Amino acid sequence: MARILVVDDSLVIRNLLVEYLSDQGHQVDTAIDGQEGIEKALDGDYDAILCDLHMPRKNGYQVFTEVIAHRPQSRFIMTDSLPDELARMAQEAGAYGCLTKPFDLDEVTRTLEKILAVTKSI
Amino acid sequence: MNLRGWIDRWKLRTKFVLPISFILVCSILVVSAYLIERQEEGFHLGLETNGETMVRILAMQAESGVLFEDRQELEELLEKFSVFEDIRCAMIYNREGELLSQLGEWDDNSTVRLREINLSNDPEDASSRDFYVEDSAGAVFIEFNYPVMTRVEKLDRENLGITGGIDPSLTRTFVREHLGDIKLVLSLENVNKSIAEARLTAIILTLLVVAVTIVFIAFIVRFVTKPVKMLVDVTDQVARGDLSQRVHLKQHDEIGQLANTFNKMIGSLQQSRNEIEDYNRTLEEKIIQRTLELEDAQAQLIQSEKMSAIGQLAAGVAHELNNPLGGILGYAQFALEKMKKKSPGEFGDKEVNAFIRYLTDIETQARRCKAIVQNLLRFSRSRRETEFDDVNVNATIEDTVTFVEHQLHMSQIELKLETDADLPVIQGNGGQLQQVFTNLIINAMHASAPGTCITIKSRYSPALGEFGGAVELQFIDRGSGIEPENIKKIFEPFFTTKEVGKGTGLGLSVSYGIIKDHGGEIKVDSIIGQGTTFTLILPVQKPADASDTSKEKLGTQPDAQV
Repeated sequence: MARILVVDDSLVIRNLLVEYLSDQGHQVDTAIDGQEGIEKALDGDYDAILCDLHMPRKNGYQVFTEVIAHRPQSRFIMTDSLPDELARMAQEAGAYGCLTKPFDLDEVTRTLEKILAVTKSI
Repeated sequence: MNLRGWIDRWKLRTKFVLPISFILVCSILVVSAYLIERQEEGFHLGLETNGETMVRILAMQAESGVLFEDRQELEELLEKFSVFEDIRCAMIYNREGELLSQLGEWDDNSTVRLREINLSNDPEDASSRDFYVEDSAGAVFIEFNYPVMTRVEKLDRENLGITGGIDPSLTRTFVREHLGDIKLVLSLENVNKSIAEARLTAIILTLLVVAVTIVFIAFIVRFVTKPVKMLVDVTDQVARGDLSQRVHLKQHDEIGQLANTFNKMIGSLQQSRNEIEDYNRTLEEKIIQRTLELEDAQAQLIQSEKMSAIGQLAAGVAHELNNPLGGILGYAQFALEKMKKKSPGEFGDKEVNAFIRYLTDIETQARRCKAIVQNLLRFSRSRRETEFDDVNVNATIEDTVTFVEHQLHMSQIELKLETDADLPVIQGNGGQLQQVFTNLIINAMHASAPGTCITIKSRYSPALGEFGGAVELQFIDRGSGIEPENIKKIFEPFFTTKEVGKGTGLGLSVSYGIIKDHGGEIKVDSIIGQGTTFTLILPVQKPADASDTSKEKLGTQPDAQV
């Protein structure tokens, strides 16, 4: 059981991840854009943050950098429709993974398990 | 119009024939007139001489007749002269002027003396006077008057008795004594008739000579005017632009030289014109070619601009599609997972299995959508290394067929699959291969007429490829074929023979790139009117460096084989 924040401007993706991850036994919060994502990520203590890269009011890379600045131990999984420059930059800056939409749920689980294993080992 | 202008308008032949004929006629007329005049004089002189001779003979012959006034003798004498037709009349008078004898009628009173002629220089013949006379009817005669003389010996009476005879030593004295006169009138009728005949003959001869000469001159002039006319005709045609004309003259005179020079001139003119025309023609061809190239380049530019726009649009659309697609895929997987966990008792076995099948279908198709969207992004934006997987080529072909079946059915084209069931699984990207297959089938369909057949063959070729051989696929249509000049271009980006808007010109170039990514080959064999065969070689194992070629996907040209 882990605390997970899903930051995505797409309602369907938020709903899917909330349902799927809750079903897996995780506690899931959501944010609907970058700004809210930063506020919630700094406010709460999450084991993993699933963050979309392309969003209104601050993009995923900005969310990542700002949160990491205050909470360096935060674990980010970036999600994106296009494997573009932002995804590369985020991974280079220390994001734990990058999922290309539309992603398989198995992929989400596998990546999440890797991160949680790292978190637990710390 | 002045004379010169008038003459200038004459034809060349007229200019030659007319003056020459005129001069000729004038000369002949002058000469003839002179000769006739001379002849006339001769005739008159002859008649005058004849008359003088006759009148003298007559005078001598008439001596005794007049002396003795023997009329009978004189009558006979004149009768002898009547054979001369020219004699109009002859009269013999005695000393007293009494008419002794007469031949023909003559009336002195009805005639007029025109002029006197003097034939004899003899001073003794003072009484011999000759005249031209004209009668009341206008006829002209020559009148000869001659005295009849006799010789009388003067004897002295004293001497008569002494001598008793003629003593030759004595000087004898003779005296000429006038006995009478003779008048002879000759008619000019015959002479005039002869003169008229001569004149007529001269005129006829003159006309004949003139006619013959004119014909002859005209004939001679033809040697000049005919070639000149020919020159004029040819010049006229040349002036109208027909430079193929030549003057054909065999003569070697000045006109022949002119013709030769003219021919040479036309020859060089024609050569120059041909050169100019050739230049113009090639120029036109060059312009057409350049224009076509320009149009081509412009069309390609438009296509490429359009593709760039479509690429940006596609990227936006793909981005927007990925979230809903993520939802579909995710929920399908989620539902499938949950369904699989359900205890079979909750629903009927059958229903659970059916749901699982539905959801699997949704998941499969959503994955395909994902692959299509990724392909769309692939040539519109930066490319990521293609993900390779085990691919069952036959199954991919069958999937593709289900995708295009409807279109084939609508086009009334039959599709035959001759696949080898024992094909090995290859390393590749199923979605991309499906894209290639779709492209090849759609192209074949567009080239085919309704009622024809497209055949897809697959077989395993162990000899091909580096390891484990390769799969060889053939897409065979019986369509229109590809023009030989287009064969090399078909894999070029943006090349299309379809109408603008119907084809992007990217299908085959993307396909080529994909096959190269797979380390494979794509070849085309086509015969116009008989059909086209595309052959794909897909190695079972992907060569290590094959993925690098993806970067040059749109830039390189394959080796097309005709």
